[in-house]
Amino acid sequence: MFSSLFVFRGRASPMTESAVSVAAAALVVAGWELAARAGIIAPQFLPSPSRVVIALWTMLTEQNLVWHVVVSTTRVWIAFLLAAALAIPIGIMMSSYRIVGAALEPMIDFIRYLPVPALVPLSIIWFGVGEETKIFLLWLGTFFQLVLLVADDMRRVPHEFVEVARTVGASSRQVMTDVALRWMGPTLIDNLRITLGWCWTYLIIAEIVAADSGIGYVIWTARRFVKTPEVMAGVVVIGLIGLITDQLLRLLHRRLFRYL
Amino acid sequence: MMSGYVQFVDTAKSFGPVDVVRKTDLGLDRNSLVVFLGPSGCGKTTLMRMVGGLDEPSSGSIVLGGEKVVGPDRRRGMVFQSYSSFPWLTVEKNIAFGMRYRKDLGAAEKAERMRHYLELFGLADFAGSYPNRISGGMRQRVAIARTLAAGSDVLLMDEPFGALDALTRERLQVELRQIQIREEKTIIFVTHDVEEAVFLADRIILFSRRPASVVADIDVAAELSPQRPLEIRETQKFFELRNKILHLIRNETGVVV
Repeated sequence: MFSSLFVFRGRASPMTESAVSVAAAALVVAGWELAARAGIIAPQFLPSPSRVVIALWTMLTEQNLVWHVVVSTTRVWIAFLLAAALAIPIGIMMSSYRIVGAALEPMIDFIRYLPVPALVPLSIIWFGVGEETKIFLLWLGTFFQLVLLVADDMRRVPHEFVEVARTVGASSRQVMTDVALRWMGPTLIDNLRITLGWCWTYLIIAEIVAADSGIGYVIWTARRFVKTPEVMAGVVVIGLIGLITDQLLRLLHRRLFRYL
Repeated sequence: MMSGYVQFVDTAKSFGPVDVVRKTDLGLDRNSLVVFLGPSGCGKTTLMRMVGGLDEPSSGSIVLGGEKVVGPDRRRGMVFQSYSSFPWLTVEKNIAFGMRYRKDLGAAEKAERMRHYLELFGLADFAGSYPNRISGGMRQRVAIARTLAAGSDVLLMDEPFGALDALTRERLQVELRQIQIREEKTIIFVTHDVEEAVFLADRIILFSRRPASVVADIDVAAELSPQRPLEIRETQKFFELRNKILHLIRNETGVVV
């Protein structure tokens, strides 16, 4: 009966696939619960999932977690939108005009490899410990990556498309707007989705170093008192936000690019 | 010798130190289908692209209807082997794209032309489909229709049927020949397929290996009638022409086909 599910690259029905996804996740959680309850691992290292859920509930109802989530999300989006607003035009210019690429690419490629955490001290010297530092660090982590991804997408616009447009009378600007940008759309949204994920990674670094609000701050404070359930609850919240954002952007992608 | 509608005047092309096209003098008649035949990478495509204004001759020039070619414009349309139709546009919008930058046509006229070419290429049932929902043959039809809708006088086709299966390819060859006669277009068709060349051509220009130079100039129209039903492939004349060209290729270009 199950042999039909194990055909190489075979497909099960969507219902079966969803059921398997849920069951697998449930199995992991159940195993974790059992391991914690059996006392195999000390609860300050591995609290049971039910305790994490209870901690999450307490944090939501008594410790203003929603506010911290809003603060963190705002930081991420401000930095991300700033990065995108600059990276998209600059990346496009880098691939459209060789001199712009020649001027910027080596520099950007260099900065891209600087680890963001290494720049924390510098950014505190520059901006203090306020919001600016956090936004700056997040921006730093996404802008330089995104600009190169955008430049790459632009470079990959098939030359045939450009030439077809030119031979039907499109001007240089029209080739850009009517062909190159249209072609880039789907990969651009994908790259934005991926870099938004990185933004969340850097958020935690920024909030651990210098913050009195945000999910990173909540996690770090809980750690200080070895409140492992709270630490885990914080991590779970970030995971959930990531998952939801990702799904929304995927939905947007499908809506915008029905032709794919 | 300034007689052709498309006239290559001492046209030569090199990319840096690499000579791609040797000095070429050639005149092509209006309303005829000329096939550029030659080994892959020999420079025949470059020669055709220069007619389109997509590459510039290193020396000499190309004159079209008495006017020197400078840069691309819609009177000379390209059809490529791949990436020929825009994936984000439906079939009808792809065809309309050919007219998008034409200011001499009103909206009603554009719609009328679009319908005309949808019908002509049997695409009416797929008007609202995106290219990834239609076959490769259909996609090439869309590309040709778009070029015609643009009002191109000269069609430059770079191995347009190279990626199609044999049956689809045959059908498109027949259709292209009919459309060439009906729409009275000048077509330069690049291929390395000898049978395709003989079937389609009024005239075949055979090129050597790179740098391309004209090895032979074969007047196919003198042997085969302009109407080319599929059965013509099975006639004695077709075989003779094909074999003659194959021999020429082996002897003159040094390439084993």
